[in-house]
Amino acid sequence: MFEFAIAGIQAPIFLLMLTGFTVGIVGGFIGVGGGYMVTPALIVFGFPGYLASGIDATHMAGKAVVSSIRHRQLGNIDWTLALSMVAGTMLGVELGVRLLNYTKKLGISGVVLLACSVVVMLGLFIYTQLETRRAHKRLEQASLEGSHVGRELKTSTLHTFFQAIPLVPIVRCRTARVVVSMWVIVLVGVATGFLAGFLGVGGGFIRVPSLVYIVGATTHISVGTDLVEIVVSGGYGGLRQSMSGNVDMMAVLFMILGAMIGAQFGSIATAYVRGPAIRYILSYSLILATTGAFLRLLYVLTGQKIALLSFFAVVFTLGEMIFLCLFIVSLVIFSVLHTRGKKVPQWVAPLVVAATE
Amino acid sequence: MKWFIDSMLGYWIMLLAASLGAAACIYVFWLKDALY
Repeated sequence: MFEFAIAGIQAPIFLLMLTGFTVGIVGGFIGVGGGYMVTPALIVFGFPGYLASGIDATHMAGKAVVSSIRHRQLGNIDWTLALSMVAGTMLGVELGVRLLNYTKKLGISGVVLLACSVVVMLGLFIYTQLETRRAHKRLEQASLEGSHVGRELKTSTLHTFFQAIPLVPIVRCRTARVVVSMWVIVLVGVATGFLAGFLGVGGGFIRVPSLVYIVGATTHISVGTDLVEIVVSGGYGGLRQSMSGNVDMMAVLFMILGAMIGAQFGSIATAYVRGPAIRYILSYSLILATTGAFLRLLYVLTGQKIALLSFFAVVFTLGEMIFLCLFIVSLVIFSVLHTRGKKVPQWVAPLVVAATE
Repeated sequence: MKWFIDSMLGYWIMLLAASLGAAACIYVFWLKDALY
């Protein structure tokens, strides 16, 4: 047990490092900051809500730096896309925070936030899951026919509509191999930043699907590029929270120690899978977070009297982290076995790829 | 048992059950008393 002077609580160091480690794996793999998992987890560990939010934002920036460096080495970052989106993201976050403050004044922020989180995440889950299943089936078909398939396969054609918008300036994103109006990228930044600012999260789970389905980038590029956005937004958020005295730096330090190792593993793990595998994990993350938020919404709506709802909300938050880590680790193991010619389940083979391919 | 490995849905259910079970154990036997 370690006594955190600013938070005024005692918590096991091991627990914080483990939380950082697990969220680091998930964040490095699907390109999210993991705020929707870390903040509730820290509150469960006994940290006050405002400190949980501050610690989360600060550790997120550090973790995103580690993941971004690794993704850069893997060639997964499109700097044109990332830098074009930053301005829109910052504007969107500011607008989102203003709407959040307005709902706070009306006294309905808790319910509105949870309800919006459930609707947005459920919608994203359904779209991502349906699209990824179609892509998975096509990969299985191609695998049976013995034809070569690259790292990416998408069945959504939504991006063709947005790429056809002829508003100048048109930007050529060389790494992502996308030619699109800069206004589309900026508007994606504003929209995802707005939702992120309003819902109080980093926004990776909204931005990654947007980059894939609206801008038309590959899943690997979307993950790496989004992590650069998180460095900026998390760094800014962490700085603002630190200036407001909402950060316990010792807690951040222990979480970053775990996250640095986890983020390395999560980022490297993307080299072992095809795009649909990352989108599957992202959609699983969304549905579990939706369930947790829905349980918390029910708990709030029932006047915080049914303790069982609170218990299940906590179990889903912790269980989600364990589940996502196990799934990512098992995909890497399956990939290694598949590369060595060992037998793997039929559904796994189209999702994994040899790291050297 | 084979279905839990050979089917993606089965694998999903098996991992989720194991994870939620582990989370429930962590909460009941450790976090609840140690941290609250």
